[in-house]
Amino acid sequence: MFEPTPQVDLSSGKYLKLWQGPQHPGITGNMALELTTMGDEIVDCKTHVGYLHRGFEKLMERRTFIQNFPIVCRIAVPEPTFNEYLYAAVVEELTGIESPERAEWIRTLNLELMRLASYLMWLGGIGAAFGQGTVYQWTVTHRDYILDLFEEMTGARVYHMYIVPGGVRGRLPEGFEERCNDVLNRVEKLLFDVEKVLFNNFVFKKRTKGLGVIAPEMVDQYGITGPNQRAAGFVRDLRRDAPYLVYDQLEFDVITATESDAYARSWVRYQEMHQGIRMLRQCLERTPREGPFQARMPNVLHWEVPAGETYVKAECTRGEYGYYMVTDGSEYVRRVHVRGPSYTHAIALMEKLAVGTNIADTAGLMVSLHTYPPEIER
Amino acid sequence: MNTVDEILDFAIEREQQAADFYSSLADRAQSAWMKEMLLSFSQEEMRHKGKLKSVKLGDRLLKADQHVQDLKVSDYLVDIEPTADISLQDALIVAMKREKAAYRLYSDMARTIDDPELKQMFLGLAQEEAKHKLYFEVQYDDQIMRDN
Amino acid sequence: MSLKDLISPFYVWQRAFEKPYTQKRPIEDRPGAPRYRGFHMNSEDCIGCGTCESICQNRAIDMVPVEGLEQRPGDSGLRPRFDYGRCCWCALCVDICTTRSLHLSNHYAWVTEDPDAFHFTAGTDPMPWNENSLGYRRDDDYHLLVHDRIEMEMLGPDESVRGFDEVMKGYTEEQAVLEADRCVECGICVATCPAHMSVPDYIRSVRKRDYETGLRLLYETNPFSSTCGRICTHRCETVCVMGYQGDPIAIRFLKRAIVDRVPAERYREILGDDVSDNGRTVGVIGAGPGGMSAAYYLRRLGYGVTVYEAQARAGGMLRYGVPSYRLPDDQLDKDIDYIRSLGVEVRFNTLVGRDVTFQSLLDTHDAVFLAVGLNQPSALRINGEEHPRVLSGLKVLDDVANGLDPGIGRKVAVIGGGNVAMDAARVSRRMGAEVTVLYRRRIEDMPADPDEIHESQAEGCTLVAQAIPVEIKPAASEAQVTIVWGEAEMVADDKGGRPRPVLQEDRMHEETYDCVIAAIGQGGQIDFIPSDYREQIEFKWNKFVPGDYQQTGLAKLFVGGDIANSRADAISAIEDGHHAARGIHRFLGGSADA
Ligand SMILES: Cc1cc2nc3c(=O)[nH]c(=O)nc-3n(C[C@H](O)[C@H](O)[C@H](O)COP(=O)(O)OP(=O)(O)OC[C@H]3O[C@@H](n4cnc5c(N)ncnc54)[C@H](O)[C@@H]3O)c2cc1C
Ligand code: SF4
Repeated sequence: MFEPTPQVDLSSGKYLKLWQGPQHPGITGNMALELTTMGDEIVDCKTHVGYLHRGFEKLMERRTFIQNFPIVCRIAVPEPTFNEYLYAAVVEELTGIESPERAEWIRTLNLELMRLASYLMWLGGIGAAFGQGTVYQWTVTHRDYILDLFEEMTGARVYHMYIVPGGVRGRLPEGFEERCNDVLNRVEKLLFDVEKVLFNNFVFKKRTKGLGVIAPEMVDQYGITGPNQRAAGFVRDLRRDAPYLVYDQLEFDVITATESDAYARSWVRYQEMHQGIRMLRQCLERTPREGPFQARMPNVLHWEVPAGETYVKAECTRGEYGYYMVTDGSEYVRRVHVRGPSYTHAIALMEKLAVGTNIADTAGLMVSLHTYPPEIER
Repeated sequence: MNTVDEILDFAIEREQQAADFYSSLADRAQSAWMKEMLLSFSQEEMRHKGKLKSVKLGDRLLKADQHVQDLKVSDYLVDIEPTADISLQDALIVAMKREKAAYRLYSDMARTIDDPELKQMFLGLAQEEAKHKLYFEVQYDDQIMRDN
Repeated sequence: MSLKDLISPFYVWQRAFEKPYTQKRPIEDRPGAPRYRGFHMNSEDCIGCGTCESICQNRAIDMVPVEGLEQRPGDSGLRPRFDYGRCCWCALCVDICTTRSLHLSNHYAWVTEDPDAFHFTAGTDPMPWNENSLGYRRDDDYHLLVHDRIEMEMLGPDESVRGFDEVMKGYTEEQAVLEADRCVECGICVATCPAHMSVPDYIRSVRKRDYETGLRLLYETNPFSSTCGRICTHRCETVCVMGYQGDPIAIRFLKRAIVDRVPAERYREILGDDVSDNGRTVGVIGAGPGGMSAAYYLRRLGYGVTVYEAQARAGGMLRYGVPSYRLPDDQLDKDIDYIRSLGVEVRFNTLVGRDVTFQSLLDTHDAVFLAVGLNQPSALRINGEEHPRVLSGLKVLDDVANGLDPGIGRKVAVIGGGNVAMDAARVSRRMGAEVTVLYRRRIEDMPADPDEIHESQAEGCTLVAQAIPVEIKPAASEAQVTIVWGEAEMVADDKGGRPRPVLQEDRMHEETYDCVIAAIGQGGQIDFIPSDYREQIEFKWNKFVPGDYQQTGLAKLFVGGDIANSRADAISAIEDGHHAARGIHRFLGGSADA
C-alpha cells in the first residue's frame, strides 16, 4: 500500500536536508516537515508532530462533564465550535438528553459561521502561500467581522464556549440577524473579488493546477474526507449523508470536482463558502425566536453520565470530525478520543504528495490540504 | 412641691420605694429564679434612681420631647396581688402596671401645674416612666407572649 | 492562458477608493460586546457559598476571608479570589453562582503596573471595571442547577382532617435521589443547623443510595433522626443557597429518606454501638429529646445512665405535644427504643421533687443533666379567664396524645400563633370542630412553621391576624364562652425587635365559641431545685443560662433543651444534650475530643 521511501545517500552531495517548521510552514500551525531535496525538488518528506501536545484527552478524564465543555474548544484553535458541538452531542447521546429545537438551529448557525470564518482564514492562507498577501489581509479582516458576531453572540471571539451539553448558553442577541446579514453580504462581495484576483489569476492557476494530485483510489486508503475527497470526485458530505442538527431542513449543494489537485480543492472550498452563506441565510430566517434553548439538566456539579460508549461525527471544514467516548457511570469520562481530519491529511498524505513537488510549493500544498496541527495532538 | 429639686427628691424616693418593693418580694419568693428575676427588677429601679440623681446634680438633662410608644399591653390585663409564689408573668404585669401608674401620676401633675419649668420637669418624669413601662411591655411581649 | 485571466485581477483596483477596514483607535472605538466575557465582578449578594470554587476547572478561585466581613448565618464570610494566571474566562463560575452575584464585565483591556494585581478578590478589591454595567451574565433561561424542589406526596386536606394519619408520605427512593442531586454541597447550612449536622455528606449518601453511611452520619450528631426528618424546624433550609433562585433543598425530608430506608433491627449492626461500662453514672432529668440525646451520647461513652421521667412514656413534648399526624408514635419510638436498647435506663412516672429529690440525684450520680422543658402554659391574664370553657393548648394536645377526649365542642377559637396553637387548631379540625385562630401579630410573624400555617389553612382553619383578646365573658349557654378582641396596628420596634401590635380600642369584636384554647406560650417549672443552689446558678428571665458545655455554676449540674435555650425546638435540645454529654465527659476527666 505505501511505497517505500527511496534510498538517498546524503553524503553523495546531491541532496540537501531542509527543515520547514516547526514554526508555521504556511499558516497551518506548529509541525515540521523534514524535506530531502535535490535541487529544488523534494525527493522525500517526513512529518514531525508533537510540538503542540497538550494532552486534552487525558485532561478530560480528570474533569467533570461540565468542566470539560470549556476546554474542548482549545483542541482546534481556528475551529473551536466543532469541538464544542461534538462534545455536547456525544454527552447528549450518552445521557439521552435532547437539546431543544431552537438550540439546534442556533448551533447550526454557529457551526456554519465558524466554517465561513475558518474558510476565510484558509483562503488568506492559500493566497499568501502563492504570493497574494493582499488576499490574506482582506479575508482575515472579514473573518474578524465574523468574530465580532461571535463576540456578541457568545461573549468571546475565538474560544466561544457557547455550545454546551443540553443546548446553547444564551439566546441570539437583539438585532443579531440584521448585523449577521450585513456581514454575509460583505463576505459575499469579497468572495467575488477573490475569485477575480485569485482563482482567475493565471499565476495561481499555473502553480496550483496539477499540484498534489490525490488519486481517487487513495481517498479511502488514506482516510481522506471533506473537500479533499470531494475534489477527487466523491459526492460525500456528512451533512447530507448522515444529517445532524437541522441540516436535513436546509437547502445546499454538495460541491465536487474531478481534477483533485490544489486548484480543484481550493475551488471546491471557495464554492462551499457560497453554499455556507446560503445556509446561513436560511438559518437566520428560520431560527425560532421563542422557546427553550437548553434542555432540562441535572445538577451539573455532580453529573453522572450512564456507562456507555459511542462515536459522534460531523462535517467540519476539513472533513470528518469525530468524538469517541467511553463512560463508566461516574462523574468522570473513562476515555475520549478526538478524531480530527488533519491527522490523516497532514501526516501520511502530505508525506506522499510532497514527493516530486518543489520547495516553493510545499507551503501551498500543505495549505491546499487545509490541515491544523493542534487537532492532530489532542 | 414647689421647686424642681423637691420634685426630683420625690421621684427619687419613689424609685427607691419601688426597688424596695421588688427586693422584699424577692426575699419572700419561693422559686429560685423568681428571686433572681425580682432582684433584677429591683436593680432596674435603682438604675432609674441613679439617673434621676444625676439629673438633680445637673449632670444630665431630662427631656420631654420624645414620643414613647404605648403598647397598651397592661391595659386589659387583670390586676395581680403580689404573693410569695408569684410567677414571672405576674411579676411583669405588676411591674408594667406600677410604671403605668407612675406615668399617670406625673402627667396628671404636669396638667395641674402652671409654672412652665415645673411642668417641664413633670413631663420629663412622665416620659421616663413611659420608657420604663415600655421596657417591661417589650419583655412581656417577648418572654410571655412568645407564641402570641 | 486566457486574456481574461490576465486582466481579471486588475478588476479590484476600484476597492482602493473605498473606506478602509481598519479602525484608528480600536480600544476606544470598539467597546466589548454587551455579553463579552471580560473581568470578574461580584456584588453584595454574594454569601460566600464557594460553588464557583467547586466548578472552576482551572482552580482559579480560592475562597478567602475578607477584612471587615464576618461569618454569619447563611454567609461563610469568605469571598472568591481570582487568579488570572489560571482563569480561562469560561464563566462557568458565573453560570453556577447560586446568588447570581458573580458576573463578568465587558471591559476589554487592562493594563497595570502592579505585577500582583492579577490575583484579586472580585467585588472587594478596587478594580477599574467595578462600575461596569455590561458584560456576561447568565441568561434567565439557562440553568446548570435544578431550582424546583421535588414535591413530596401528602394527604389532601379533605383526607387529612379525617384522622391522625401521617400527612407527609415521604419520598420514594427515586424522588429522594433527585432531590439530593440538587444540592451543591456548599455546607452553608452546617453552621446554621443547631446540631451542625454534616448535611452535605448525608445528602450525598442519599444521592449514592448508601443509607448505611447516611445513618452513621446522622447519628454522629443526632439520635432523633426519624423524628427530626419529620418535624425539625429546619433552620438549615432558611439559609440553603438554592433558596436564592428557587426552592431550598428539602434537607429535613432527605434526613427522613435515609431513616425510612433502614429498619430499626439493622441500627445496631450499622452503627456498631458497642457500649462498655466505665463505672460512672449520670442522672438525666426529663426523657424529652434533650435528655435522651444526652443519654445516648453518654451511654456511648460508657456511662451508666438513668433517666428520671415524670410521665409514663418518653419523648417529652414530642410525645405529648406534637400530634401523630406530624410525627407518628412508632417513628418516635424508633429513635427512643434504639437509645434505650443501648442500656439507658428510664424510670417512668418519677417526678423529680416529688418522687425523688434533686439532692439525691446529685448524691447518687457523678453528674446530672437537666432538660425538663417548658410545660407550664402561660395564662392569658385577662378578665374572665377562669371560665371553664377556656382550655390550655398543651392540655388539649396532651389529652389527644393519651387517647382522651379534650371536650372541645364544635366551634373553637385558638389564641396564639406558635406550634402549639397550630397543632391545637389542626387537632380540633380533626375532631370535627370549626376553628378560628386569633393571633396578635401578622401571619408572617407567626413563630409556627410556614408549612404548618399553610396546611392548617388548607385544612379549613380560619386565621385572623392582628387580633388581641381583651376579655372573656360568659355566654348565654354554660357550654359556651364569649371572647372580646380588638384589632391591632403593628408598630416598629426601634430597638430592633420584632414589630409589636398595639390595640385599637375603637375596633372591637365579640364572638361566642364552644371553647377558647389558649396557646400563647409556656414556661418551665424547676422549683425542685433547692434555693441554696440558687446563688450558684445563672438565670435570665425564665431560663437557665448555661456556661461552656452546658455546665451551670453548680459544677455537677448540666442543663439543656427548652429550659436553657431561646430556640425552643427539638434539634436545639438534641444538640444541647450532645454538647452536655461531651461536657460531662470532660468534667469527669475524659478526653476532650469525644
Ligand atoms: C405542640 C408542640 C409542637 C411542637 N412542634 C415542634 C416541631 O414541629 N418541631 C420542633 O423542632 N419542635 C417542636 N416543638 C418543640 C419541641 O417539642 C421541644 O423543643 C422539645 O421537645 C424540647 O425538648 P426538651 O428535652 O428540652 O424538653 P421536653 O420535650 O419538654 O421534655 C422534658 C421532659 O421532662 C419531663 N419532666 C419535666 N419536669 C420533670 C421533673 N421534675 N421530673 C421528671 N421529669 C420531668 C417532662 O415530662 C418531659 O418528658 C413543639 C412543642 C410543642 C409543645
Ligand atoms: S471564568 Fe472559568 S476559569 Fe475563570 S474563574 Fe470562572 S470558572 Fe474559573
